[in-house]
Amino acid sequence: MTSTRRQFLRTTALATSLVSAAPFIRAADPAKKYRTALIGCGWWGNNILREAIASERLKVVGLCDVDTRARDITAERVHDLNGDSPAKHNDFRELLEKEKPEIVLIASPDHWHALQTIAAVKSSAHVFVEKPTGHTVNESRAMLHAARNSGRVVQVGLHRRIGPHHVSAMKFLKSGAVGDVGMVRIFANGGGGRERPAPNLEPPEGLDWDLWCGPAPKRPFSQKLHPGGWRGFLDYANGQLGDWGVHWLDQVLWWSEEPYPKRVYCTGGRNIAGTPILTEKEQTSDAPDHQVAVYDFERFTCVWEHRRFGGTQSEKHGIGAYFYGTKGTLHVGWQDGWTFYPSDSKAPSVHEDSQLQQPDGHNLKLLWADFLAAIETGRKSVANIEVGHRSSVLPLLGMISWRTGRSLQWDGAKEEIVGDPEASRLLSRPYRAPWVYPDLTS
Amino acid sequence: MFRAHPLLMVAACTLALAQRGLSDDWPHWRGPQRNGTSSETRWLHEWPADGPKVAWKAEVGLGFSSMVIASNRLFTLGHADEQDTVHAFDASTGTTLWKHSYPAELGDKYFEGGTTGTPTVDGDRVYVLSRWGDMLCLGVADGKVHWTKNVQQETASRPPDWGFTGAPLVQGEHVFLNVGEAGLALHKKDGSVAWTSGKKEAGYSTPLPYREAGEDLAVFSSGEGYAAVRLRDGQRVWGVRWLTQYGVNAADPILHDGHVFLSSGYGKGSGLFKLGAAEPEATWKSKVLATQMNAAVLHQGHLYGTAGDTTTKAALKCVEFATGTEKWSRPNFGSGGVVIASGRLIALNGTGELMTAPATPDGFQPTATAQVVGGKTWTAPVLANGIVYCRNARGELVALDVHRP
Repeated sequence: MTSTRRQFLRTTALATSLVSAAPFIRAADPAKKYRTALIGCGWWGNNILREAIASERLKVVGLCDVDTRARDITAERVHDLNGDSPAKHNDFRELLEKEKPEIVLIASPDHWHALQTIAAVKSSAHVFVEKPTGHTVNESRAMLHAARNSGRVVQVGLHRRIGPHHVSAMKFLKSGAVGDVGMVRIFANGGGGRERPAPNLEPPEGLDWDLWCGPAPKRPFSQKLHPGGWRGFLDYANGQLGDWGVHWLDQVLWWSEEPYPKRVYCTGGRNIAGTPILTEKEQTSDAPDHQVAVYDFERFTCVWEHRRFGGTQSEKHGIGAYFYGTKGTLHVGWQDGWTFYPSDSKAPSVHEDSQLQQPDGHNLKLLWADFLAAIETGRKSVANIEVGHRSSVLPLLGMISWRTGRSLQWDGAKEEIVGDPEASRLLSRPYRAPWVYPDLTS
Repeated sequence: MFRAHPLLMVAACTLALAQRGLSDDWPHWRGPQRNGTSSETRWLHEWPADGPKVAWKAEVGLGFSSMVIASNRLFTLGHADEQDTVHAFDASTGTTLWKHSYPAELGDKYFEGGTTGTPTVDGDRVYVLSRWGDMLCLGVADGKVHWTKNVQQETASRPPDWGFTGAPLVQGEHVFLNVGEAGLALHKKDGSVAWTSGKKEAGYSTPLPYREAGEDLAVFSSGEGYAAVRLRDGQRVWGVRWLTQYGVNAADPILHDGHVFLSSGYGKGSGLFKLGAAEPEATWKSKVLATQMNAAVLHQGHLYGTAGDTTTKAALKCVEFATGTEKWSRPNFGSGGVVIASGRLIALNGTGELMTAPATPDGFQPTATAQVVGGKTWTAPVLANGIVYCRNARGELVALDVHRP
């Protein structure tokens, strides 16, 4: 049985309306059109751009992608949507220099986020960058540092900070309705099987593969990597933990009064997908097909789990976060909204549907509006760079533990791994020349 | 009891066959006329609430491959346990006639994976092209392998990102495949290569043949557009540059009245192009119809098809062919497909609900609706010889008896 807490919803509705009213207190010139550019014209970049265009607050002045076809298609789409004819660039440095955008959207693969964000804020642009912030921890720190120094607004694509059912679930959780929470389980599971290698190919005509790889190692081109498959390759991303893991760890940090865990342990592998293959002829991805990561906080334990086999039929929910409290369990999900299962089996469960926006199926519209409001009012955006940085660091630490095979003691105040020089070295990584790893002087 | 005269029995059977329209086969993708239209006229379009009677059911494995029916045999494909399987069934009873499996990757990039192509029947052979370029020529009666080869490796063509999907086109002594920039021709007898095209990646549509000025042509899609070539030598006759995100030019082109209609998803939309020049000019372009996978069906000057992607709950729409004007839209249809028979739409939505309604620009008014299969249904239904065949992604195939008594 399911009931809705009307009182609770009313309060939430009131809070939401106050938030959305806030930008108009100091509204800038509503006719102001921000010179906007997109770096990374793939699926998600196009989703962000579409919401940005829908706000009618911008002129798209530039598009950057190392794949000619992707930028041509995006330019055609922009023209169809609002009549703009953005300049097309292969290299983001040229885009920043020539188009002088006031807003830059960054939806390139993870290994590019740091250099592009830092360059963009230094050129005085506000930035909307996809999560995770960095591919390694110190990239993320350098991004935070550069953003603070520039005074520009940097919003990280953590739309679950503003999605209506997440906002109300968090309010429910913080109201004490779940009781004292001792453990959180966050997860993203699905089906899958053994991975066969795909042939290495010449990069397609019009793709600048060297620039695509940029500061990361240059693997042979494979259709498994581009377009879209790079999340499974640890040279450019951090697998499922570095994707969905960021969103759910962010939900945990949003709720938690503790800003960081004191210890992190992660294990997992490719028991089903098989040993990674990389030969002259062919390759597979190399991200783990399953992982368990434990984040020890003072007052609760957080467990991450992902599995790309076995499916989700045995469970009520395939993705999300369970907050286990003395009064029951709160599940916060995606399409399935949130549901509270009371400990008392006779008490009714409480549920709220998700309110997702199409066509992205998430809440980009709200996150974009919040970003514009932050630019125009000077207030902090909901998924500002500090928020995004803290939530991105946790999966990256999980990956270091997974690589080294041991627990890490984390000093979150200093952002240092305690007493483990080998693991500490993995907070950064070597860059491929001529690219230079960003530091706090960047 | 009486003993019937043998000749009378034959006559009675022939009559029954004629009534049941056993000649209404669907031997290849998009049906006998390659346009999603069946010539069948005698079929039930009013069903009880729980749908037409189920003639048979089968499990064929993961995938989106359609069904083809010829001489009371049904063929389709599915994937399980690291192999694809060609299934041959008795089309009326569902009895398995034979199966043939070959190793294949699941290929679950952004979807559950499995087979996406559809077999083609030509006489006593059935031709199959896998996502990874394995080409098979099998005997229809026994599944015997007459020849097999990997055409991707042989031609070094770039596979499209989701693998080869277009069904083989058999014409004369050749089989034509959507492999390479503008097709690949093999001798159907032994699979030897007759001609190749550029190595750039193919699109996902099925070669669409037509005849013009005494010349046999076919339209192929690539990652960058649609082009017509001469079937005898692969010479390009015309081409339209049609860029769709990820190169997903998947929906089959529609040729009509000296024009070609193109449509794709990912926000691209549709266009009508006047044939006659090497680079046909657009008569109109519009975002109203955007068929991401299954092509629309043209009936009496109107197109019936989907608008939107799998991620957006596509609408089913009716659009005027000559102008692109929207006549009606049924929201939340999903990424299903339609066929037309005797002026009626048979529409399977994206979640296994089968509907039939008059194919008219006046509106979508189903006379019958039934949930016939669960899960995800991105495969258009097929009508052949009084049976509607539907399948879902998991590979549940259901045969629904719509014979009109």
